[in-house]
Amino acid sequence: MLSLGIESTAHTFSCAVIEKNGKNVRILSDIRKIYRPPEGEGIHPREASRHHAENSPNVLSECLDKAQIKVNDLNIISYAAGPGLGPCLRIGAIVARSLASYYDIPIYPVNHALGHIELGKMLTGAKDPLVLLVSGGHTMILAFLSKKWRVFGETLDITVGQLLDQVGRYAGFASPCGPKIESLALSSRHYTPLPYVVKGNDVSFSGLLSATKRIIPKGIESACFSLQETAFSMMGEAVERALSFTDKKELLVVGGVAANKRLSDMLTSICKRHGCKFFVAPKEYAGDCGSQISWLGLLESSTKPGEDLENTFVKQSWRLDTVQVHY
Amino acid sequence: MKLVKKGAEADIYLASWNGQTSILKIRKKKEYRIDSLDQRIRTLRTIREARLISESKSFGVTTPIVYFIDEKKCMIYLQLIQGKLVKDLPPNKIIKISAEIGRLIGTLHKNGVMHGDLTTSNFILSRNHLVILDFGLAQKTDKIDDYAIDLRLFKEVLNSAHVQIMEDAWSSFVNGYRTILGAHVTEKVVSQVSVIESRGRYANVI
Repeated sequence: MLSLGIESTAHTFSCAVIEKNGKNVRILSDIRKIYRPPEGEGIHPREASRHHAENSPNVLSECLDKAQIKVNDLNIISYAAGPGLGPCLRIGAIVARSLASYYDIPIYPVNHALGHIELGKMLTGAKDPLVLLVSGGHTMILAFLSKKWRVFGETLDITVGQLLDQVGRYAGFASPCGPKIESLALSSRHYTPLPYVVKGNDVSFSGLLSATKRIIPKGIESACFSLQETAFSMMGEAVERALSFTDKKELLVVGGVAANKRLSDMLTSICKRHGCKFFVAPKEYAGDCGSQISWLGLLESSTKPGEDLENTFVKQSWRLDTVQVHY
Repeated sequence: MKLVKKGAEADIYLASWNGQTSILKIRKKKEYRIDSLDQRIRTLRTIREARLISESKSFGVTTPIVYFIDEKKCMIYLQLIQGKLVKDLPPNKIIKISAEIGRLIGTLHKNGVMHGDLTTSNFILSRNHLVILDFGLAQKTDKIDDYAIDLRLFKEVLNSAHVQIMEDAWSSFVNGYRTILGAHVTEKVVSQVSVIESRGRYANVI
């Protein structure tokens, strides 16, 4: 079975083809084109969607070429229907709908966040993990229970990805700023106390954002170091609380921020203390990519037929914990 | 000294205090946190927990007795409470006990204390008496928003760990809470819970 996945929730436009034969799963291709806003600025939804529209034909054909298949060979097409930026989501949906209606291929609108989790599980082999989803759109701790991913903890305001991006942009970097902040943090060991806010299993980053901006003039390296230490420790503690409450024996980290080495190191240490296995999505597939959409489409196609074209919606606000899982 | 439970924050041991069996709660150094941050968090919480556990008794909420604290080592010796965690009770019992939890939390809030970590594993049912544990995240506050954060966390826990009985347990909790704080305040706090929920990511369609 051949599945095409189209991702366009935020800055990334990506197409990927996955082949599934029984238990054998292979990612045949995963092509991405990332919209880069000017330094010091964030994603402009209209500009990002323009970028996606302009690049979609090339990304799609490169993706099919690399997989060495034709559109006709595809068994299903899935696209990220939300959550994300409206104008961007619509580009992916339009591409998917056009292909599906012209070539008469079943179409699946899927949840982007669930895609992160399922791709992470597939690539790492985690069976029943507590999941930490950390990206520009999410900061959530989840576990699976009676047909849904349940939220055990989350951010009460901005996400960790937004936190890093907004601090980075304030300092004049180009977003996404995570990697730049990570590398700057490596050159300092000087910790400035910053607000540390854990409420039960939840975290709050807004105060940390303002406080970090304030200490940037005293040295960007130290600010980045203090920011990472504080933010990641908060998430570490929330994870620890959820681990000890749920008694899960596996932890899986997915999403763009999962690529951060310092965060991984902290979580590894936490897992050691709780006698639990640590899994992190491979760097290449941690962030937004077509594979997460393609793979989730394959899973959903095992239990239901494709969606009618008139129901191929996009939903900017589509919480992961409202999705019923039947596969 | 026997390790009873590795909690999220602290290790819980069965120990002896002045010849008496007791619980020893140690907030050990966390390797993943840098020293200054780690020390600040552990010390602050140890002191806060000891203070608010004792203070809560003064307005009639049952908490373990604090025997001794060592703020340098971040240790607290506490009374051993025999019983069962609410988390492990049968579902219909949890629904019933939620009303009592509501009353206890109502009493705390009425006296300006938020608990900060209202999970079903922080309550022990001991000889038909409900005991609240773990005041590490507790604080003094008079803000409606803080009280609502307590309620929201309890709701989140029901919603994630006790899905089947969520509705019943939640309304039982709110009923209990209302008996202490009255309809007016309860209405205000519960509607603030909705406000907090709507702050959640992707919580409502725009």
